[in-house]
Amino acid sequence: MNILRKMRAPFHDDWCKNCTEPMEIITKQLYMLPMLVGHYTSHTDANYYIENLIKVEKKKNIETGYYACGLYLYRCPRCANKVVKLSIFLPVRDEEKYEETIIFENGELDSFLQKSIYNY
Amino acid sequence: MEQEKIKKINILYLLGYIFVPIIICAICFIIGMLYFPKGTGAVILFMGPTILSALWWIFAGTIIFKTKTKKFEQELDKNKFDRTSTFYGKGKTVIIDSKTGKIALIFFWNPSKTYIVPASNIEYAWVDDGRGGVGFMEGSSRVSFLFKVDGITVRVDTFTSNQRFRMDSDYILTGISKADMMVKAIEEAKSKAK
Repeated sequence: MNILRKMRAPFHDDWCKNCTEPMEIITKQLYMLPMLVGHYTSHTDANYYIENLIKVEKKKNIETGYYACGLYLYRCPRCANKVVKLSIFLPVRDEEKYEETIIFENGELDSFLQKSIYNY
Repeated sequence: MEQEKIKKINILYLLGYIFVPIIICAICFIIGMLYFPKGTGAVILFMGPTILSALWWIFAGTIIFKTKTKKFEQELDKNKFDRTSTFYGKGKTVIIDSKTGKIALIFFWNPSKTYIVPASNIEYAWVDDGRGGVGFMEGSSRVSFLFKVDGITVRVDTFTSNQRFRMDSDYILTGISKADMMVKAIEEAKSKAK
C-alpha cells in the first residue's frame, strides 16, 4: 500500500511529499497577476509573486485579458508540513485557460501570506 | 495622417502588387525570346524576374506593411498619441489611445494611408467567436473583434486556423480573451471621446 501511495504521490499536488498523505486546505485566495494575455512568462521565483500579486475577491474583479492566480495553503495533518500552491490561469468569460501550477514548499511566501491574508 | 473616409484596400496598390511583376516578367521574356534565346542573357532574363517576382509576392507586402506600421507608431509617439493598446492583426494594425479616445488604423492593402479617428465615430464593437457546428463538432476556426467606424466594418482576427478547435481549447480561449480585451479598450476610448 505504501509503495502504491508513493507511486501516486507525484501526481497529486495536494499530497504531502514526506508522508504521502492528502493535505488539508488551510486557506485559499484569488489574486490578479499583472500579465496580459499572449505575454505570459513563467516565474519560479517567489519574489516575483510577492511583488506582483494583487488581491481580488472575485474572478469578476480581474480585468479582461489579465491572468489570475489561485493561492492554496496546504497543511499535512500528519507531519504539519506546509505547502503553498499557485495555480495560474487566464479567466475567459465563464471558462479558465489553465497555464501552470507552481509549488513553494519551503515557506518562501510565508511573510506574504501573513500580510495578504491574515493582515499582520 | 489624414482624417478622411477609411479605405481598407487601395485598388491601385493591390493591382500593382500583383501585376507589375507579371508585366516585368513578360517584358523580360519577350526581350529574352527576341534577342537572347540562349546563354547567360537568357538565364538572367528568364530566371531573374521569375525568382524576384516570387520573392516580391511572398515577402514584399509584409515588409512594406511592417515598415509603414513602425513609421506610423513613431509618428504617433511624436504627436503625443498615448498607445494604450496595440493589436497587430493579420492585415491591419489597430492602435488605441484610451486616454484621449482616439483610434489609429493602418491596413495591409493600403499602407500608404494612415487613419486616426475619434473613438466616438465607432458605432459599435463586438467579438465574433466564430462558433459553428453542433454537438461534438461544435467549435471555431476563427476568433476576431470587429468594429464599425464611419459605416465601414473592420474585422481584426485574434486567432485563425485551417482546423476547427473546440470552444474550450486553449487557442480559442486565448483568441476570445484578446478580442474581449480589445473591445473593452475600444469601449473605454469611446467613453472618453464623448
